Amino acid sequence: MRAFETDFWRDNASRKIWDDIVPGEPRPTVPYLLTLEAIQKYCRAVGDLHPLYFDEAYAKKSRFGGLIAPPAIHILLMFACTPADDWMRSPGTVNAGQAWSYNVPARPGDTITLRARALDKFIKKERLFVVHDNVFFNERDEVICSGRGWTIRPA
Amino acid sequence: MTDFFDSLQVAARIDGSPYVVSRESIREFCEASLDFNPLHLDDDYMKGHFGRTTFGGIIMHGMNNFGLLTRMLTNWAYERGGIHRRLETRWLVPVKPGDTIRPAGEVKAKQRTEKSRWVTVAVEVTNQRGEAVASGEALIEFPTATV
Repeated sequence: MRAFETDFWRDNASRKIWDDIVPGEPRPTVPYLLTLEAIQKYCRAVGDLHPLYFDEAYAKKSRFGGLIAPPAIHILLMFACTPADDWMRSPGTVNAGQAWSYNVPARPGDTITLRARALDKFIKKERLFVVHDNVFFNERDEVICSGRGWTIRPA
Repeated sequence: MTDFFDSLQVAARIDGSPYVVSRESIREFCEASLDFNPLHLDDDYMKGHFGRTTFGGIIMHGMNNFGLLTRMLTNWAYERGGIHRRLETRWLVPVKPGDTIRPAGEVKAKQRTEKSRWVTVAVEVTNQRGEAVASGEALIEFPTATV
């Protein structure tokens, strides 16, 4: 697996700034193998210890038939499925809000792919906004979730 | 289980658990989400100006609010035969180390469609001063048959 670059300054010169972002243009993405370890790490960070994410025997008897990831796992997938020069990583990117719809749950062992684009950009109260538009799929090409986010770009 | 939708009252409350925000919790969220934006890591960087905004120090990820709301909604829905289908939020006030935040919800509407049943929930996260730091709306499905 590729090493994840945690220094968001490192690739900053190669990232698109607000002026360069073209609404409608796809963002490059990379597939990501979602592990149980990554799911549980996310769950612990938000204090969510539901047995559907931790107890295989419980999860097997549930309507889901096995362990799943919580719906908001897209928080991790957004960074896991995008390259280091993606403009979402630009230091100073402020998240103003997001809206997500959920279809099938992500599961440990899924190879996740992302189709993403900038959808819109505008200026409001002197702030530079970009709206991003995303759909995550599993390896069976089923939609896991889709969502939009409103970001304020670094000035 | 399927009777829950019928008995559910508009204005019913959903209570989430308090969450103590610390430098460590923010760092843990960085590691878990892979979002290492210096907004959440670098106090010196955060002393600067961001257009019309000054934060004065690191802030919690807005999506941490989102994760806490999801936790509250799934805990409520799973036990009652519901499925969390949608969440929309916007961030109103930055959350900083030392804050204690708590998500909550209120049932706003019930709706039947041709194939299923839906509950709209207004959601909010408040801090220890009672300020709303995030607000939004969620949709929970209560299928008529097991899916």
